[in-house]
Formats: sequence, structure tokens, C-alpha cells
Amino acid sequence: MLKNTLKTLLEPWGPSGNEHNVADVIKTLLTGHVDSLRTDALGNLIVEKYGTDDNAKRIMLSAHMDHIGFVVTAIEKEGFLRVTNVGGISMDYSRGRHVVFENSVDGVLFCQPVKEGKPTLADFYVDIGAKDKEEAESMVQLGDMCVYAPDVFSIGKHRISGPAMDDRCACALLVELLLYTENQKNTIVGVFSTQEEVGLRGATVAAYGIAPDIGLALDVTGAGDIPEEKYPAVILGEGPAVKIMDRSMIASPLVRDMLFEAAEQAEVKVQREVLPYGGTDGAAIQHSRAGVPTGTLSIPCRYVHSSCETIDMRDMEDALKVLLTFVDL
Amino acid sequence: MELEQFLREVIAQPGLTGHEGPVARLIADKFRPLCDEVYITSTNSVIARKKGNGPKVMFAAHLDEIGLMVTKVEKDGSLRMGSVGGVDPRILPGMRVTVLGKETLLGVVGAKAPHLLTEKEREQNYQRDDLYVDLGLPADKVQSLVQIGDLIQLENRFVELKNRRYATKTADDRACVAILYRAMQLLANMRHEADLYFVATCQEEIGSWGAKMAGFEVDPDFGVALDVCHAATPDATQFTHEVTSLVASMGPYIHPVLRQKLSDVAKEQNIVLQTAVVPRSTSTDADDLGVVRGGVPTILLELPLKYMHTTVELFDMHALQEGGRLLANFAAAVQPGWEDELWI
Amino acid sequence: MDLKTLCELNGVSGSEGPVRRAILEAARPLCDSAYIDKMGNVICHKKSGADDAPHILLAAHMDEVGFIIVGHTEDGMLRFRSVGGIDPRVIISKWVKVGDVPGVIGAKAIHLQSPADRQKVLSYDGLYIDIGAKDKAEAEGLCPLGAYASFDTSYQPLGDLIVSKALDDRVGCYNLLRLLKNEYPCDITAAFVSQEEVGLRGSQGAGHTVDSDAAIILEGTAANDLGDVPERFHVASVGKGVAVSFMDGASIADRDMFRQMMEVAQAGGIPAQVKRGVTGGNDAGSFQRARAGQRTVVLSVPCRYIHSGSNVASEKDIDAQYQLADAFLQQVEGGTNHA
Repeated sequence: MLKNTLKTLLEPWGPSGNEHNVADVIKTLLTGHVDSLRTDALGNLIVEKYGTDDNAKRIMLSAHMDHIGFVVTAIEKEGFLRVTNVGGISMDYSRGRHVVFENSVDGVLFCQPVKEGKPTLADFYVDIGAKDKEEAESMVQLGDMCVYAPDVFSIGKHRISGPAMDDRCACALLVELLLYTENQKNTIVGVFSTQEEVGLRGATVAAYGIAPDIGLALDVTGAGDIPEEKYPAVILGEGPAVKIMDRSMIASPLVRDMLFEAAEQAEVKVQREVLPYGGTDGAAIQHSRAGVPTGTLSIPCRYVHSSCETIDMRDMEDALKVLLTFVDL
Repeated sequence: MELEQFLREVIAQPGLTGHEGPVARLIADKFRPLCDEVYITSTNSVIARKKGNGPKVMFAAHLDEIGLMVTKVEKDGSLRMGSVGGVDPRILPGMRVTVLGKETLLGVVGAKAPHLLTEKEREQNYQRDDLYVDLGLPADKVQSLVQIGDLIQLENRFVELKNRRYATKTADDRACVAILYRAMQLLANMRHEADLYFVATCQEEIGSWGAKMAGFEVDPDFGVALDVCHAATPDATQFTHEVTSLVASMGPYIHPVLRQKLSDVAKEQNIVLQTAVVPRSTSTDADDLGVVRGGVPTILLELPLKYMHTTVELFDMHALQEGGRLLANFAAAVQPGWEDELWI
Repeated sequence: MDLKTLCELNGVSGSEGPVRRAILEAARPLCDSAYIDKMGNVICHKKSGADDAPHILLAAHMDEVGFIIVGHTEDGMLRFRSVGGIDPRVIISKWVKVGDVPGVIGAKAIHLQSPADRQKVLSYDGLYIDIGAKDKAEAEGLCPLGAYASFDTSYQPLGDLIVSKALDDRVGCYNLLRLLKNEYPCDITAAFVSQEEVGLRGSQGAGHTVDSDAAIILEGTAANDLGDVPERFHVASVGKGVAVSFMDGASIADRDMFRQMMEVAQAGGIPAQVKRGVTGGNDAGSFQRARAGQRTVVLSVPCRYIHSGSNVASEKDIDAQYQLADAFLQQVEGGTNHA
């Protein structure tokens, strides 16, 4: 079940550069269901499921395991932790958040009073309940990372909210695709990538190592259907979105049109996405080596990079149908 | 074929960044009679080879053009737009554009009339969000012909001004593609030892991606990037150049020995070469070509242009032709021994 | 080669010739092969002798920040820009050499400044190098467009510390040459790379051609540990040992290599500290992402006033960088620390 897989994958702790727990969960889900499974030097989990066609193309499908977080840069006399961002953090979304470390130490992320201007992350601190530096150092060390604590809940009939939806929802799609596809024409090289949020680093090296014929990134995109937002013209629940352009990449017309073709065959309605910001692993794959025709299939998501990233399960179900057809084109 | 005719045809052909197919095919056709082999890569760079037994040299000029993309079709049939590459929104109001929908449609970029703006609003430039494309069609007709992601090509005119100066869209960088073309014409009657690759690269306007990818494919020993730079205008006098002759940059991203070789060839051929100094990245294909694979000693040759990234980009035809002559003579001068001289 | 000699050579990014030549000459007798690659890097290979030994890349950058001449005024002054990041506020009234030509960076005397002038930060547009030329023609003849300029400062003891230009990253080059003298159970490639300060350029080429299993980068890093800086903004403390990075703007350290480094330091009694600041970036970014990727970790010598003509560092920290890299390499074995 897609929804169960998603919930399973929203649990593990995994900021950029520390995705091993996520990889372990995925390995458990996929072992026995794929033809090969390995981890590379940057921690990318790479699995293959061979295609049946004599001229099978090798399609690299990428979904990133990491999510945004914070890293400890100082431990103060009073036991407070100072942190800086790992990936794109919004101050507005951060004050008063429950955060958690890998060793299950919990903390409150808060902001000190600021005399002038808007607060920056240098004004934030994490309170882990330590009475002084010594106690704090027995719980957490310099360089340790924390993330918004998992808090997953349903809203309305079809929607789910939580941190790390970016990009675990795509990891769930890729897991389900690998579990349910059978005798598909093309070879699926599934990459559960690392360090996307700090600059597409995992996908960059994975793409070089794999040298695929075609690339497809799976990621979330913003939804322009909330108050005072106009772009992208993407609506939650109206279907997955085929990316045409974002700040990092112009989707290769070949792959973009393959996605439209797959959607038509699967009788799924898809949206067209032109995102005036952002980027995905697709850019890293497209520009790899001498170039790889690459597109991105997006799950519309509200409040991206907050602790309540919200998606619609109907978009997920439809995206899976598109993918099952896509790998068989 | 005359250079002017080549430019007219190549500039008119759509090739917005990421969608360079049509212009790539046209350029490949034009290059074909002048080289031993030519092909289009999977990402729409054109690679033309003139064989030789010496070092591999790659000449790169980008074929993609800036433009717009439909981001939303409003209920009233007007089109909202995003930018493909860096389009200055100030040039848009009143521009006639071509919308590449299910049909090719003429459009006009509209904005709220000045009479309806407050004094404060009039003091500010239009932002792209204030603007829309008007197709002069009823909304339902627009909806059936145009969708999100359709491309919008900027106004295409090619006009000869006085003194063999020309104003047009996309002189950046198809004027430099014309330099490649001219060099290939001249090389038909010249001897060259080097293995020459004339590459019209894709996706420069969003980050030199074409040069990176085509460079990986060609794996050259030396690189020469060609792009446009800024010619002096009354409102831009510092660090700009005379429109009448070419520029060769210097700086950490440019190989000093190879640049000296280019300068020597220019002197020998009596070709005027201006100098620019770029302390860091050049924002051209030279940046990425220089670090392809294990690194490619690379230089940059630039054609000065007024009004870059507008539809009235202005260049001097004499400077362009001199570019062809310089490139051809440089290509003919490349020797196998050069590789040993690079780090003395 | 001693550190003083290395630091006093000029090698602004893109113009590393004197440093490159000196390092090539010093490294050649210490390794199996040494050559200059297409990016102008000096690449040195040293085999361990063992079959299937892990292959570790050690890297330091040869280049330093400096200046480049971009124009001449009618009265013979040189217009210039920085190569690499140099804050224009630290260069007024400083000695430079344009090639071999000595010059000074001048500015309007304080007596002639208006109160508003005194508040204003001078940008590179408002600064010039004076070589004493009498007119434009003489200036152009001596210091043509594109000529590079370096800080003209000496290497000196400073109390318990040392002060010099270019400690970032000649300390790494110096230690790399020392490491090349030793035998290790792993294959070593030492890469002295070019153009770090202008966008990690040399390392991109070296990362592609050297097919290593893991990379250790020897750097100089900002310290920011004195004066009015609140402790939580200290990046690394001078005199407290080599700084090991968990993350910076260009890479996140491999978590196992980061931990191993700290463990090796502790076991060997080598002074080491965790580098706290995460801004800036270094060649680890290119090496980590070269080809299909490799694990990286960065060992830095804390340097005060980095990117000026007077970097201040501790010889103890410089030695600790060497000791830690050496101890780590000694215990690399296929399978255990083999990254």
C-alpha cells in the first residue's frame, strides 16, 4: 500500500549527509524484489530491476532520501546549542519547532529576542534541557545534526501532512514502482539519492557512475493554490505535475513528452509545471557526462520546507500509474 | 553562402534554451558541406568535425536564445510568462512576439496603460508579473491553442544600419556561430594539422551546460569559446570595448600561453585584438569547457555587442568577419608541440 | 622545502608558476612519478608496494589570493581587482608586487577626507596601485593588462606564532611534501592543485584524472577566534590543534572519516579540534563529486586574517595537521579504514 509505505518512510531520521537510516529502511523493503542493490561512496542507494526488452533502455529514476535540518556549531556555557542550516531553512517556519537528533535527544528550536531587523539563524538556539555545557556535551556533539521531529497526520479525506514529505513521498513512489512493476520493458535504475538539499550532490555522482540512457527525477513541487500565491499554476489533488522548467533545468522535450504519453496511456490527468524557483536531481542527471535526456515528475506539495509539508494521496496514486506505464514505454 | 544570409536564416529559426532542435538542425545543414562529419547530440548541440592528425581543438559558440515561456493562461485569455534565460522586462511592453502554441501565433506584450497608473507606479519599471501577452483571440480559442510551457520567441527582425552594422535579436550568440561558419569556409582552402571540432552549443543561457556536455563528448586538448561582450555606449563606458574589433580576455580562467598564441596569430594577420581582464568567471562557455574531464586549456574570443539581451543587439560585420579569419588562422597554426609549452 | 620559502613565492590563482616549479622540483625525488596535468596541477604518485592497497588522494592548493591589473589611468596609476576574495577594507596602505615591480595601494589622506568619506568603504573602483610611473605609457609598459599582483610581505615569527602571506594554503603544500617522504600501507597521490581561490578549478581536473578511493584535503581556514567575536562564532582556535571539518559550504565530510580522524587524534595525543564554522568551501567539494564520487574529509590549520597579507597561525597547529594526516595514513588498511 502506497500510503503505508509513505508512512514507513516518513519516520527515519536523515538530514543531508546522514541518510543511512533511510537507506536501511528502503533496503529492507526492497530486498528480494530487485535484481541488484548497492550503496556508493556518497551513500546513494542504487537498485536495479532489469527490463525484458532486447533494446531495454536504462532509466535512472531518482528520489532523494535526505531532508533539510540543522547542524550544531557551538555549545554554550548555559547548555544551549547554536546551529546553522543544512539545506534551505526558513526562519519563519523554524521558531518554536520540536527537533530531534539521531540519538533521540529532543530539543526545542527557538529564537532569541532581536533588537533590529529580522532574525537570522544566528539568533536561533536549540534547548535540549541541559543545565550547562557539560551536560549538553554528554548528549550532543559539535557537528551533530537535528531535524524537525516526525509528526505525520491526515488532513481532510485525502491529504497528509508532515516534515520530510520532500522527498520521502517520492522515495515511497519509487519503492512501490520497484515492488509492483513486473517484466517491464526498460531497466529501472532506482537511485535513492543523498545530499540533494545541499546541491544535488548524491545524484551528481550517481548519474556519472550509472551513465543512464534516460533520467527521471521524482520530487515535490510547490502548489500555487494557497492564499496570495500564483505560481506555479499547480493545484493540489489535480494530478501529478510534469515539469517543463525550473531554475535548475529545462526538462528534455523527449522525456517530458514521454511522461505525457504515459499519462495518456494510463488515463491519468497530469498538470503542467513551470516553477520560477527550485531545482531537482533532474538537473544533475541531465548535465552528466555528455548529457542525458531527463525530466521530472512532481508531486504537488503545499508548505514545502516546513514541518507540515502537505500532499494529496490521489496525486501519489496517479503518479504511480504514470510511472508504471513510463518504464514500459 | 554569404554571411549576411546565413545570419538572417539562423537568427530567425527558433531555438530557445532547452528547445534548440529547429535551429540545431538548420545549423547542422549549413555546416555539412564545410566539414567531414556533423551530428546533433541528444541535447541539441551541433558538432562538426574537420579532420586532422594533430591535437583536438574545440571551438564553441552557443546556439540557444533567450525568450519567454507561458506560465499561466488567464481566464480572459491573456498569457502570463516566465523567462527562459535572462530577459530584461523593460524591453517587453509593446513588443510583438511569436507564441509557439499548437499553431504559431502573433502576440503583443500588454501592460496597464500609463493613464491608469498612479504617479508612484509610473516611477517604477514594469515587472514581468505586470505584463501579459495578448493574442487578440477569444479566451476559449486561446485555451484550445496555448498551454502552460509553450514557448514565446522574442521579436525577430534583422536590419542593416550604417557602416555595416546590424541590429537583430540573438546576435548573442549566433553572430559567433557565424564566425565558426566563416572560419570553416576559409579553412576549405587552408592546411591544418589539428583535429578541429566546430561546436554550436546548447543551453548556455541557463549555465554553460552545452559546453560542459559537448566538451565531455569531444574531449579536446584545447578549447576556444566564442561569445559576445559589451561594446561601449554613452551610458556604459567603463570596461566596455570598441564595437569595431574583437576582444580576447585574460584572467585566471583563461590559459595564458594559449592566449599568447592567439595574440601572435592576430598580430601576424594584422587583426586588431582588444584585451579584457576578467578576475574570476567569464560567464561564458569558457568557464565550463575549461574544467571538462581532466581540464582543457581554454581561451575566450569575444565579439563586442551593444544592447545585449535585447531584440536590437548591434554588431559590426567587419569585426565578425575578422573573427572568422582569426579563428581559421589560429586553427591552422595549432601544432602538436603546443602541449609541451603550456606550463613553462 | 621550508614553509618560509614556500610562502614567499608568489602564486596568485591562474599564475601559480613559481610555486608549481618549486613544488615539482621538491616532490620529484620523493615519489614514483610527478607531472603537471592539464589544469597546471602537480600530481605525484607513490605506490605502497602492496597489491590492492587502498588509494588515498592528498590535496593542497598552490594558489593564493591576490590582484590583477584591469586598467591604467592617464597619470600612470594601475586599476586592479582582487583574484579570490579580498575585502577592500584590508588593503589600503599595503605593499604589493606587480610581477617584479614594487608598488603601494594608496588612498586619499585622512586630512583630505570629508566626514562622509571617512564613513565610506572604498571599493575596488576607488583604489589604485601606485608603482611610481610617470604616465600611462610607462605604467602599461611595466605592468600590462592582465598582470598579476601579490601582497609583498615577509614571513616572520610573531610571539609564539608566525605571520605571513599565503599560509592559506602553503601550509598544506608544506605538509604534503613532508608526508611524501614517508612510506604508507596505502597508495598515495599527492595533488598540489591550482585555482582553488577562484572556484575550486584545479581540483575538478585532478579529481577526474586521479582515480582514488578517498581524499584528504589539507587546508588553511579562517579562525575568527579573537577580539570582539562572541565565542559561538569562533571557527577554530589558533594553537588548539588541527581543525577537522564536519561540513562547509562545498561539502559534508564523510561521517566515518570525520569520526576516525577525531579518534586517531585522540589515540595519538595529536592536538585536534572540530572546526565550527560552516561558511566557505574548499577542494573537498570537487573531489567528493568527481566522477562517481569519493569520501572526503578536510584537515585545516586555523589562520587569523586569512585572505590578507598577514595570516597568523601556530606552528604547533601546522605540525598537528602533518601528525594527524600521517597517523591516519599509517593505519589505513584494506577493509578497515579503506574508504
